[in-house]
Amino acid sequence: MNKLGRRILFLGIPLITVGIIFYSGHQWGVRHAKYITGGTPHPSNCISCHFYLDQDAQVAQMLDRAYVSPFKMLVSPDGKSLFVTAHESNEFVIVDLESGKVKTKIPVGKWPHSISVSRDGKTAYVSNHWSQSVSVIDIDSEKVIDTIEVGNGPSDLILDENNEFLYVNNSFAGNLSIININEGKEFRRIPTGNYPMGIAISPDGGKVFVTHRRAKPEGFRKSPITELVVVDTRYKRVTERKEIHSAHIMENIDLTPSGDLALFTLIRPKNLVPSTQIERGFMITEGIGIIETHAGGKVAQLLLDEPNRYFADPYDIVVAPDGEKAYVSHAGVDYVSVLDINEIRKILAENNQDELNRIANHLGMSSKFVIKRIQTGPNPKGLTISPDGQYVYIAERFADEVSVLDTRSMKIERHIDLEGPRTITQVRQGGRLFYNAGRTFQNQYSCSTCHPDGAEDGLTYDLTGTGRNLENTITLRELSNTSPFKWNGKNVSVYMQCGMRFSRFVTRTESFTPDELNALVAFIFQKLENPPNPFQLPNYELTEVQKRGKAIFERTKTNDGREIPEKDRCITCHPPPYFTDRSSANVGSGFETDTEEIFDTPKLNNIVDTAPYLHDGRAKTLEEIWTIYGGEDFHGYVNDMMKMELNDLIEYLRSIGPAHTYKFEESSIKEASNE
Amino acid sequence: MNRPVQKRFTITTLIILMLGGGIFLGFSLKKTLHFPVGGMASSENFDGAKAFKTTNPAKIQELKIYDSWKHYTTKEGLPSNKINTVRVDGNRVWIGTDKGLALMENGKIINVLKEEDGLAHHNVVTIDVSPMTGDVWIGTMSGLNRYSAGKFETFNQFNSGVPNDVIYQVYCIDKYVWLATGGGAGCYDTYSQQWKIFTEMNAPMHEPWTYGISGGDGKVWIAAWGGGIIEYELETAQMRDYIDPDGEMEIDLFPDDGLVHDITTGSSYENGILWVGTYFGMSRYDGTRWKGYFDHDSGLASNFINFTKAQGTAVWLCTDNGLSNFNGQTWVTYRPVEESTKGEVIITEGDKKRTLTTSTSMSNNYLWGMDYDEEYIWLATAKGLSRGEASGKLMAKATQ
Repeated sequence: MNKLGRRILFLGIPLITVGIIFYSGHQWGVRHAKYITGGTPHPSNCISCHFYLDQDAQVAQMLDRAYVSPFKMLVSPDGKSLFVTAHESNEFVIVDLESGKVKTKIPVGKWPHSISVSRDGKTAYVSNHWSQSVSVIDIDSEKVIDTIEVGNGPSDLILDENNEFLYVNNSFAGNLSIININEGKEFRRIPTGNYPMGIAISPDGGKVFVTHRRAKPEGFRKSPITELVVVDTRYKRVTERKEIHSAHIMENIDLTPSGDLALFTLIRPKNLVPSTQIERGFMITEGIGIIETHAGGKVAQLLLDEPNRYFADPYDIVVAPDGEKAYVSHAGVDYVSVLDINEIRKILAENNQDELNRIANHLGMSSKFVIKRIQTGPNPKGLTISPDGQYVYIAERFADEVSVLDTRSMKIERHIDLEGPRTITQVRQGGRLFYNAGRTFQNQYSCSTCHPDGAEDGLTYDLTGTGRNLENTITLRELSNTSPFKWNGKNVSVYMQCGMRFSRFVTRTESFTPDELNALVAFIFQKLENPPNPFQLPNYELTEVQKRGKAIFERTKTNDGREIPEKDRCITCHPPPYFTDRSSANVGSGFETDTEEIFDTPKLNNIVDTAPYLHDGRAKTLEEIWTIYGGEDFHGYVNDMMKMELNDLIEYLRSIGPAHTYKFEESSIKEASNE
Repeated sequence: MNRPVQKRFTITTLIILMLGGGIFLGFSLKKTLHFPVGGMASSENFDGAKAFKTTNPAKIQELKIYDSWKHYTTKEGLPSNKINTVRVDGNRVWIGTDKGLALMENGKIINVLKEEDGLAHHNVVTIDVSPMTGDVWIGTMSGLNRYSAGKFETFNQFNSGVPNDVIYQVYCIDKYVWLATGGGAGCYDTYSQQWKIFTEMNAPMHEPWTYGISGGDGKVWIAAWGGGIIEYELETAQMRDYIDPDGEMEIDLFPDDGLVHDITTGSSYENGILWVGTYFGMSRYDGTRWKGYFDHDSGLASNFINFTKAQGTAVWLCTDNGLSNFNGQTWVTYRPVEESTKGEVIITEGDKKRTLTTSTSMSNNYLWGMDYDEEYIWLATAKGLSRGEASGKLMAKATQ
């Protein structure tokens, strides 16, 4: 062999070897990607999955940016300042409206949610959604002067007329904290309903109205009924529970200046009809609810959608000071709708209650009272209006901006920059996609419609369209490392779950592009966290009851001394930190509507917040999993237990918190054992 | 002694005796008809009071005489005449029957609620109103209801931490709802939605059956079948039991040594006094000493006590043979006269007893429960709801 030949051989063999390895690796990678993405061609490379998407990945954390994400807002009584909650940066932002510049950012608790301000404008109260507290802020000194403990998941809040009592919705706990302002502490906590969100007070200060996100637990395969609760401010008691039928996600509420009407946003899900029928008509419609506040007043629901054009995820609503117009933000389609309240009054006057019930599904009604649609930046959330009614401020969550709508010209006049990062990361882009309905047929719903804040809406859907295999919506929080997905465990990845199959069956439109899918999955894995669980003690200790419950969870023998087979122990299928072994099992929960009896083992982090339970949402409470649907010890061994022991087990389950807390626990244990 | 002298002596003696007797009788009448007898030096004159002195005699409750009765039955709209429980809530009266729950306002039944409305079971046994939220808590023979602003929510042993579906008494204190059930006592924290259960496994009880719950001053008392009274301190979660020290089931061997019997049916606490009803008599505890009362040695209507309710420093006791009201010194017992619409009021102070007659009476002598407001007492009887009013006429008549 000549020199050239040797050189060719010398270089060629390695090249060919590398080529073969690369080709084989690539082929394997393609097959792997194909498997992971559900057989759809996906040009993702190794990095997109193995660097960005892992919740704990250092790369992902390095690439992340500290966005502001404006959520709810309020204009100061003198109209000179705008107060904004920044839910991602955990700040209370004060904007000088004359200059249109951020004046200051004050750190508060986790996920600052809503704001109420004293009449003199000197004190602001901010609910910290994930800190179980309300921050009291002195506006002049720009400092937090007090932090008041409230219930779990404080969201919307409102001061009474005399600045004596502050009413705070505790969303996760389902109750209302009433704070005595002079004493600076909670006076009373009263039960409201399932996931209270919006709050408003009547102009005379006599009544507080509370709307709810989730429907009452009415039972299996029932149309949702969600409550609007009226609290008498004199006696601090719930005096009325109005049932809003076939609706839920009633996020915010406002009253007319005269107090004769209360208007609130809502969603009307058609969870009892097959989701695959979306292109044949509406599956999820969006609108407002209206109640006449006088005794025996009518209750109406009017859709904001139009035939063939939907306005997903109505979030906030504000009524102009003159009572002529109302403004609704549609977080899912980046629009604000302007409503003519006089036209709404006409509809109420011209129809009796039966007729109003009938037109609740009428897609043509919006043409009668929606007078303008105004496009906004991404994910418009909170709205507030200047005292003179001239400007409506719109919190554009995923733009880190507030847009200013001039109510005379009905045009966005300017944007207020909240000084967030300019870069739009992949995760941020994923957030925009998650909260946007652009990928569903006629923009009917976004991911967040059924998974508000990444959690679940508490409903059971017929996703296959056959009346079989009904599926309880599950939380998407802390989804990373918990594959496979779907209740039948057939989707090995979120790519598969949210990719082409999803568009084929659920959204009936073009699927996400590979880049979009990367971004969406990155957002779901990295940003959808579980809130702190208040039943989990600090330092990961357990109460005596929880300790007893944990012992039952981990027990190996029944009360009468029989060995529990390993496969039937709670801890076997539900090991920390995610409390799932990521396999499927038959726990006897299959029903006659199910094709199969084997279901994916769900994770248990923050299970206290995720009712109803089981694959089809049949169990309304944790107890029912065993007392009604446990059968002959199919789902762990419980039939030997006394009620007291079951209660202990439930209390332990209620205390199971976010997965990262158990990772900490594990590392502590390792450290301790090393020592 | 000749006969005229003897006659004069006899007449003089008789006159002296009559005068003395008259004076004595007058004093007795005064005592009988002027409860409160708080000012009586008084307690010495009564058998019971000799052994037990109230710590503050000024707190002795004035007892009214309820002499005018009105009845409510199915004719007035009640779902049944078997009334298990009654609870006053401002101008509303909640009535629990074996066939549903009725609501009365201004003397009229305005609503009857049954299982189809969301009631857990038609046999309503106990009702309480949360002073904090105004919600009505209803214990039935098959689950617990919260009735809030016209809507029911059901808690039972299948969907919640309720110890047992047979609920004998519900009692609201602060943010807690306490239950006495057939499977132990339960405590529901309405803030955190957490349940606690107390049975013989974790509390000093002999059986899981509990019949009554009461509370006050940071404590809760559980009336446990065969276990006496369990005292639970809310702040420390410490428990202790009060039982009949002599342990005798048939008799109270050593008087006033503690509870009269271990089979307790209810308790009630106000003004520092704990009253305990049993099927074998009643006990009073002032925090220092116990005192027992029985139908054979006091004015108690019957030893078989179904329900106990404190009012100030006095107590109401619903028995199988009438209603007793006792303020620590004086008993006033009510029961209907058999085969008559009339009733009798028996006033007992020590060994002194007077019986007065009323033209109307409670519906039946078998009482399951009672409640009161400023004007009336309301009785849950085996044959209808009775409302008693103190017209003052009987008192006036008695003082004539």
